[in-house]
Amino acid sequence: MSEKKSAKVKKRLKTAGKLGKLMDDYYKESAVVKAEKKPVAWLTSVAPVEVCYALDVFPLYPENYATMCSARKLSAEFCAEAEAKGFSPDLCSYALNSFGSIYLDKGPFMGKGLPEPDMLIATEHACLSMTKWWEVLARHYNVPLYVVDAALPIDDEVTSYQVKYFADQLRELVEFVEEHSGNKFDIDRFKEVLGYSDEASKLFMEVGDLRKTIPSPVSPVEIFTNMFPLVTLAGKRESTEFYREFCDEIKALAEKKVPAVPNEKYRLLWDLFPVWYNLRLFRYMEEKGGVVVADVYATAFGGRIDISRPFEGLAERYVANPILTSGVPNLTELYKRLVKEFSVDGVVFHSNRSCRMASMGQYDIKQGIFDDLGVPGAIFETDFIDPRTYSDEQVKDTLDSLFEILEARK
Amino acid sequence: MIADFQEKYSNRHQIAGQWKKDGKKVFGYFCGYVPEELISAAGIIPVRVLGSLDTVSLADAHLQTFICAFARSCLDQGLKGVYDYLDGIVISKTCDITRKMLGIWAKNINIPFTAFIGAPSKRTESARDCLTEEFRDLRSKLEEFTGKKIDDDSINRSIEIYNKSRQLLNELYEMKKADNPPLSGSEFYQVVKAGFVTPKEEYNEMLSALKAKLASSKPSGDGKIRLMVSGSTFEDVNVLKMIEDVGGNVVADDLCIGRRYFRDLTQPASDPIRALADRYQMKITCPCKHPSDERLYRLIEDVKEYRVQGVISIVQKYCDTHLFEYPYMRDMLQKNDIPFLYLETEDRMGEEGQFKTRVQAFLEMMG
Repeated sequence: MSEKKSAKVKKRLKTAGKLGKLMDDYYKESAVVKAEKKPVAWLTSVAPVEVCYALDVFPLYPENYATMCSARKLSAEFCAEAEAKGFSPDLCSYALNSFGSIYLDKGPFMGKGLPEPDMLIATEHACLSMTKWWEVLARHYNVPLYVVDAALPIDDEVTSYQVKYFADQLRELVEFVEEHSGNKFDIDRFKEVLGYSDEASKLFMEVGDLRKTIPSPVSPVEIFTNMFPLVTLAGKRESTEFYREFCDEIKALAEKKVPAVPNEKYRLLWDLFPVWYNLRLFRYMEEKGGVVVADVYATAFGGRIDISRPFEGLAERYVANPILTSGVPNLTELYKRLVKEFSVDGVVFHSNRSCRMASMGQYDIKQGIFDDLGVPGAIFETDFIDPRTYSDEQVKDTLDSLFEILEARK
Repeated sequence: MIADFQEKYSNRHQIAGQWKKDGKKVFGYFCGYVPEELISAAGIIPVRVLGSLDTVSLADAHLQTFICAFARSCLDQGLKGVYDYLDGIVISKTCDITRKMLGIWAKNINIPFTAFIGAPSKRTESARDCLTEEFRDLRSKLEEFTGKKIDDDSINRSIEIYNKSRQLLNELYEMKKADNPPLSGSEFYQVVKAGFVTPKEEYNEMLSALKAKLASSKPSGDGKIRLMVSGSTFEDVNVLKMIEDVGGNVVADDLCIGRRYFRDLTQPASDPIRALADRYQMKITCPCKHPSDERLYRLIEDVKEYRVQGVISIVQKYCDTHLFEYPYMRDMLQKNDIPFLYLETEDRMGEEGQFKTRVQAFLEMMG
């Protein structure tokens, strides 16, 4: 389908247009900021972007960018370019996409790669590949890198010293960003930013809760595409305003029991990443009556912040994230809870070969949910942005078998 | 002599089974970042969990194809009951796979005790403070498990024994600087591997005896090409034997089952837990830690010190942290005019034939 044609299709949600504008403004601003020689930082996802906004540093996200490259069908070429330079094809395709885009200086915006960073900020609590990827970027651009390291538990509570370690580094990060931006930190401004970030996250989680409504008032594609401000603009007033409107809109639909997808027969739990170059997979399931009503991908980016203790509060938001501190036993329990709370009939697992961290354990989790609740699951394997090994038939076969089981049970 | 070491490793499961019959407790640990000293001070024998050359049959139902052969083989052994003698496992946060292994083991293999050390990656003061607290927690958990206090004196004694062990391994390693090293690369790694599964007092006696014997031996000239092997872990020591068969000798390494395990000693301090935290946080880095450049700088230094003529990198397929560093390492070696061969393995070196051809070609090129 041509872009022109799709642009003409009337979107279901009023907020859809606003999202487009937020994204557009953001990438346009990134080019302007660079031209004005204002500082630009590249961040990994789940990095404390609030520090950047509080210090007027423009944050860019190569991961979010990778999903856009994939949607525009550029990722295969970018990944291949990175492989030609010696990076293994087994590495995370977000990273390969990023390297390839840099080497070719190509991308979906104005035909160029992302504006170059003046500083780099990485976390490693979501996965270790992020730190390794950012080390490569630091060598390539020869700019300073700060890694916000985390001591993390697994299947256990986060301890006070683990929070302290992260919070101490947030204070160091403030000094790092001050030094490399020339801007001065102001605690009141920081608290204001944290307030916006917390509010956006709260509203987004509220939308998530509204998906318990039968039928679901919001579709998975609406959820996944609407994550952009949560990840990229966390701490900006515009982001919070957007989620207020989004939440109000979905709330009204939920009250009126307007379904996001007609013919909701089977309610599905989705684990974990979307297939960014093929969001039509959701449509495929929906045609069979399968609607994704819960996922943990979006929730991984949320979390409340105790603003009265800004550094510790922010640290807790990032470190005490159940998705990132759980192994098979706790994830199974978490999924079982979601299955019950969201009246889920079946679970779809996207085994993402780019994300060993998130995909490892899926076989056991699937079995655990089935053993304890009798809810069936299906696992298909592919890559989240690199379509080179994608097999539409295999994926659909897997989904079809799940639907056969669900059909037989109705 | 080497045969004694070899036996310790190949019979390790039977030996551990005997310990159990004698009423001893045995824990498994997953990589060189677990403070064995503490486990040992609790009166428990720590053994390193490693894979096997057996065909994997049970782990495939739990792990995707894109998980490394090392994790797969270890889990497979666990599922087959090979590690049933373990009373506990301790895992430290290094790679994402190791971290996630804990839950899969906990769910599928009956192990009374599990502990996870949420180790930081950086080498700052605050990272060491944090690891100190992690180690204190481990100490409490071990005390709770055994019902016995672990006093500072017993930790200090344990540190001393482990230091002695590392010291002896370093001395043996340094013998490889000689024109004709008294131990070949493959022999040396038989010696190291025995240490992962043998109580250190006993192991130290074996090492001392070996050292004395080697001091008086007169190795004959071999004229082999001096090589370094870099990578993480591999089960098949035969790959080193194969390198020797075609005219190379491994005289230095940058391996997680090699020098990275024993290079650094614990510096005594008034608080033994702090001393251990400093040792484990500051030891030569694995690529899972940040920043990890130091590993490569040291590698270049070692190449000079051990007069290495070429470096062979043996990397586990799907090992992200090593794979991310490969192009940088390649460029760094190139800049220093050090010949470099990169081999990717899925363990079970079924690729041996192909490996052999490539190593041969590499050695001929250096001729």
